[in-house]
Amino acid sequence: MSLSNDNNPSAVKVPARYSRQVLFEGIGEEGQARICASRVVLVGCGALGTVQASLLVRAGVGTVRLIDRDFVEESNLQRQILYDESDVKGLLPKAVAAEKKLRAVNSLVTVEGLVEDVNRVSVCRLLDGFDLIMDATDNFDVRFLVNDYAVKNRIPWIYGACVGSEGLMFPVLPGETACLRCVFESAPPAGMSPTCDTSGVIGPVVGIVASLQVAEALKILSGHRERVSRRITRFDLWENQYNGIDLPSREESCPCCGKRDFLYLEGSMGADTSTLCGRNSVQVSRREGGPIDLQALAARLAPLAKLEGNRFLLRATIDGHLLTVFADGRAIIGGTNDAGIAKSIYARYVGA
Amino acid sequence: MIYLDHAATSFPKPDRVLRAMDDFARASGVNPGRGGHRRALEAEAMIDETRGLLARLFRLSRPERVIFTLNATDALNMAIKGLLKPGDHVITSVLEHNSVSRPLNRLEREGVITVTRIDACPDHRIDPADVMRAFTPATRLVALTQVSNVTGTIQPVGEVGKIVRDRNALFLVDAAQGAGVVPLDMQADFVDLLAFAGHKSLQGPTGTGGLLVGERAELSPWREGGTGGDSESPVQPSGYPHFMEGGTPNVHGIAGLREGVRILLERGVERVLAHERKLLSVFLGALNNAGNFQWYGADRVIAGRGGEGRVGLVCFNLTGFAPAELAAVLDSQFDIAVRAGLHCAPGAHRHLGTAPLGAVRVSVGIETTEEDVVTAAHALNEIAGA
Repeated sequence: MSLSNDNNPSAVKVPARYSRQVLFEGIGEEGQARICASRVVLVGCGALGTVQASLLVRAGVGTVRLIDRDFVEESNLQRQILYDESDVKGLLPKAVAAEKKLRAVNSLVTVEGLVEDVNRVSVCRLLDGFDLIMDATDNFDVRFLVNDYAVKNRIPWIYGACVGSEGLMFPVLPGETACLRCVFESAPPAGMSPTCDTSGVIGPVVGIVASLQVAEALKILSGHRERVSRRITRFDLWENQYNGIDLPSREESCPCCGKRDFLYLEGSMGADTSTLCGRNSVQVSRREGGPIDLQALAARLAPLAKLEGNRFLLRATIDGHLLTVFADGRAIIGGTNDAGIAKSIYARYVGA
Repeated sequence: MIYLDHAATSFPKPDRVLRAMDDFARASGVNPGRGGHRRALEAEAMIDETRGLLARLFRLSRPERVIFTLNATDALNMAIKGLLKPGDHVITSVLEHNSVSRPLNRLEREGVITVTRIDACPDHRIDPADVMRAFTPATRLVALTQVSNVTGTIQPVGEVGKIVRDRNALFLVDAAQGAGVVPLDMQADFVDLLAFAGHKSLQGPTGTGGLLVGERAELSPWREGGTGGDSESPVQPSGYPHFMEGGTPNVHGIAGLREGVRILLERGVERVLAHERKLLSVFLGALNNAGNFQWYGADRVIAGRGGEGRVGLVCFNLTGFAPAELAAVLDSQFDIAVRAGLHCAPGAHRHLGTAPLGAVRVSVGIETTEEDVVTAAHALNEIAGA
């Protein structure tokens, strides 16, 4: 971490606005000075990202970069706490709306909102030079990509995920703790796992997962890695279940942190897209995918979309796009030539 | 897998081609060069032999004017950009592949040349009389495909060639789709520049192609560099083929191409064409109800005239499926490879009325069997019934 090079952080006078945080003995003046000198990047600025960003900017993190390619939609307002109706009316990109609001929260923090897609081509350009990466994405491919990047460059990152009333959080300290691929070998099969767009999510889950992530962030940024949780925190608010399990130990056989094969960065794992000849559609396929159950997918999408199909394919008209899913897991997303939009729609409605 | 995308590239390559590449790579796959060591001379001789075989196949009297390129696109760029000068007028057709139309479009947009694009007739052929009418005093080049990669129709190359020759312009034929399937005689058909892909019906590997430069055509080299000889010359040596060929050639690929051309010369191009037409008619015959599909450019086949005037590729659509969807179903559920979309020839699809989504293209080759096309037809029957 670049902070370790600072000459004498404790000599820095920290602004009075952080007094309550400084009073907390875990942080103190020295920890606050480290926080103020740190740089954090958020991959995504939706439900998790808006809560994380708000807490991190208020906590005085020196630079906060938010990366999100989506625009604010009405259905976001239920849980994405930085946005309001005027952002929806103004058709604002999330990164732009969030940047404006966060600057008003704390003018001492450098806030950068980037309307960009994090993919293997852009990942280094967007994430280079940060001390910590916060997971605020909605799909596994981006998480595995971030994991590859973080392990390769030895940057800590904090995993967070929620759907329905369930939440999951764990930090990844490359070289110290298990990485994402030690925990999950690969993305869950497409079409099998619920997503917030197919199964919904309640606001409190988001707030709790993001707050847990920021608590771990403050430990890392203030120089207290020894306090960082070594567990997978897991809870279900509706079932009143709060439990966690120990993170598995790091595996020498892990393709990522053991063998240092960064397959998502190289592009040999993850969703593959190709813009189809014949206008305005993109095909998304998964290299590690298997067959998917079109009937089960149809049942999950039925409340959300106009569906039609036959035994060979399922078509869903959704968000102004025509999504055609085939039994081997590939999909054609019509209404866009943008691979990022296509992958996002695939992740939201088919899964992974 | 059943592979019905031979119009994109032939697959699998004949065993003889694969073996020839392997043998050559192991025995003498080195950088060719005149006056070099024995292996270099062998490589040079192999390449020269391939020039000779191609000159024989296309009836070009000067084998040294066979120029090897990366592919047909490379050869077409070499011809178009090595020939045209400011103020030139070019006649071409709406059926062209982007490898012809894009270089021409750019030169036109930059104000270097003017272009006339001939519409296709309802039978998907270019009318030579339209070419004649399009001539202006500035017409320097007529650029035409031998076989449309979308409609599959064979163009009247010889008739157009005669018109061009009579008017003292140059005739460039894009033989990417036709070479190795439809006989072409550069002398009898009055062709001045012939661009071919080595990896389609000529059965060579990808990365091979060429431009045959007739004696009437004077090109500027489009690519300059080392030629393995005349190294003291400050500019590209003027003798063919080295005038047009700078850099290390694709020795391994050309070794495969040589074998592919040998196969065609042994078998006879006419027999390849007959094989393709037979397969198309078997394919159509195995469909329960060909009327379920919209056929494009296939009028003559369906009319039962033995595929006269066309090669073994056909575009179609099925009501209820976008072309990309039908191709994805064939691939994902039946392991049948076809190609959907615009096939890099948007003008041809506009002519057919299939733009912007395009169509599904089935294309056969010398390795395709009747069983392959029957299986594909049965898959389509099943999909059409779903």
